[in-house]
Amino acid sequence: MAAAMTGRGVSFIRSIPSVLLSRLQILGGSQQISCLHTSASLESKTWERRNLKVYPPQLPDEPRRPAEIHHSRRQIKYSKDKMWYLAKMIRGMSIDEAIAQLEFNDKKGAKIMKEVLLEAQEMAVKNHNVEYKSNLFVAESYSGKGKYLKRIRYHGRGMFGIMDKVYCHYFVKLVEGAPPKIEKKTSFDQAKEYVQSLKNRTIIHSL
Amino acid sequence: MAMPTRRTLGALHRAICSSLKNAETSLDVQHPIPLYLPVRTKKRYFIPPAVGLKGKRQENTEAKARAAGIVFRQQYFERPINIACTAGIFDPYIPPEGDARLSTLSKEGLKQRTEQIRQSAASQLAIRKIKEHDSVFTTKDFAEKAQEIFIEAHHALTQFNKEKLHSLVTERCYPEMTRGNRYKTICWRFVESLEPPRVVHARCPDMVSKGNLYGQVTVRMHSKQTLAIYDRFGRLMLGSEEQPKDVLEYLVIERHLINPYGRWRLHGKIVPSWAPAKDPIIKTVMIPGPELKPGEEFDALNYEVPKPEAVQWYK
Repeated sequence: MAAAMTGRGVSFIRSIPSVLLSRLQILGGSQQISCLHTSASLESKTWERRNLKVYPPQLPDEPRRPAEIHHSRRQIKYSKDKMWYLAKMIRGMSIDEAIAQLEFNDKKGAKIMKEVLLEAQEMAVKNHNVEYKSNLFVAESYSGKGKYLKRIRYHGRGMFGIMDKVYCHYFVKLVEGAPPKIEKKTSFDQAKEYVQSLKNRTIIHSL
Repeated sequence: MAMPTRRTLGALHRAICSSLKNAETSLDVQHPIPLYLPVRTKKRYFIPPAVGLKGKRQENTEAKARAAGIVFRQQYFERPINIACTAGIFDPYIPPEGDARLSTLSKEGLKQRTEQIRQSAASQLAIRKIKEHDSVFTTKDFAEKAQEIFIEAHHALTQFNKEKLHSLVTERCYPEMTRGNRYKTICWRFVESLEPPRVVHARCPDMVSKGNLYGQVTVRMHSKQTLAIYDRFGRLMLGSEEQPKDVLEYLVIERHLINPYGRWRLHGKIVPSWAPAKDPIIKTVMIPGPELKPGEEFDALNYEVPKPEAVQWYK
């Protein structure tokens, strides 16, 4: 940890002009004590580690456990909010449908997402003992914020703003089997239910 | 995310210059100039570190890293070579065809049964050489020991006990046994031995330099075993737990004879060319089709799946 801390101190020293040099040397030293926040740092790749979980052998009378494959891509040069729209679109679709929809989508993130899905499909057949490559569906898919680079955006009158170069991560979980069917309620059904709930009203503790 | 700040760079510079000028103009007065350090207010804006980067020079980074106290481990440009075991099976034993298919009562069966290892001279020489280095070696005892090593190695594989497995199996055999098995569960059981194990072949190759002897002994064993492999999710991939199978195997056991701490370890298996095909795995697999010229169509009805050649190979 100490080596990493001094490395960070070195990068600071190298890049800031000499007027601010001495001030930042003190700052770099004090940071050593307070930076032990490790929940979502560079080293922990929880999503990939879910692929390493081994279940005990199933008994012959148990229902067959569906295979789950977790895949992700990190530091994609795209906005996480723009990526979310595509991730929300393919949630719950079968994998063939998802790949078809992403292929004909005009967004930049769609091309990257399609690559990720194809990689995950290949991994499933090769490493995770999935029998039919079309028998998969997208159970979970979401985007997360990556590490941003900061730059200066120059405004008029000597004013400046800090510009973020955005990066995002994309996570997907494929599960073996047919996609679950969601029962869609029509408006007429909902109205009927409302009327029924009104009719069910009664006065309790009455004579 | 661009937020313009109130304090501009220019205003700050002007403030510093004016304070310095005040110090200089009081030279007319006789009393001494007070030591005046410009005290900064809290810096409210943030300049990203990438701004100051203009033309990096390669040598500076290394010197600065060393000055900051980062120590790099010494890089070794070496490739490790393992001398505890050989890389293959030298002069392999070719099992006679029809081995273990004929009953002992027929004439040919009796011939096979009475076939003694004394027929092959090279094996006899090799055994004599092994007895020079290892005084306790006898053909009869060794076969029993070999079977014990085999059973213990496979038990260690089911529990995935790396240290025990390394002591029972050579470095060449270890990756072959464990490749792809890391995230799978293997259930293996040795039911019984149908015939007592026999030493059928022995060779003593010397590697690299003349005196560096390794002993390789082939043991034939016929036994009943159960094997079931489950994948990561506990689903059966291959075999079954209840149904035992008769297995005829030719094991190669090796030892580095010169090394006083060398041990007899499983080095590999010989699979003869006439061996029956193994059971297929439970799932359906796609095989690559034939290469078609542009314009040709794939004729599924008349297409025959190409079978692999019947060649002896070693596991």
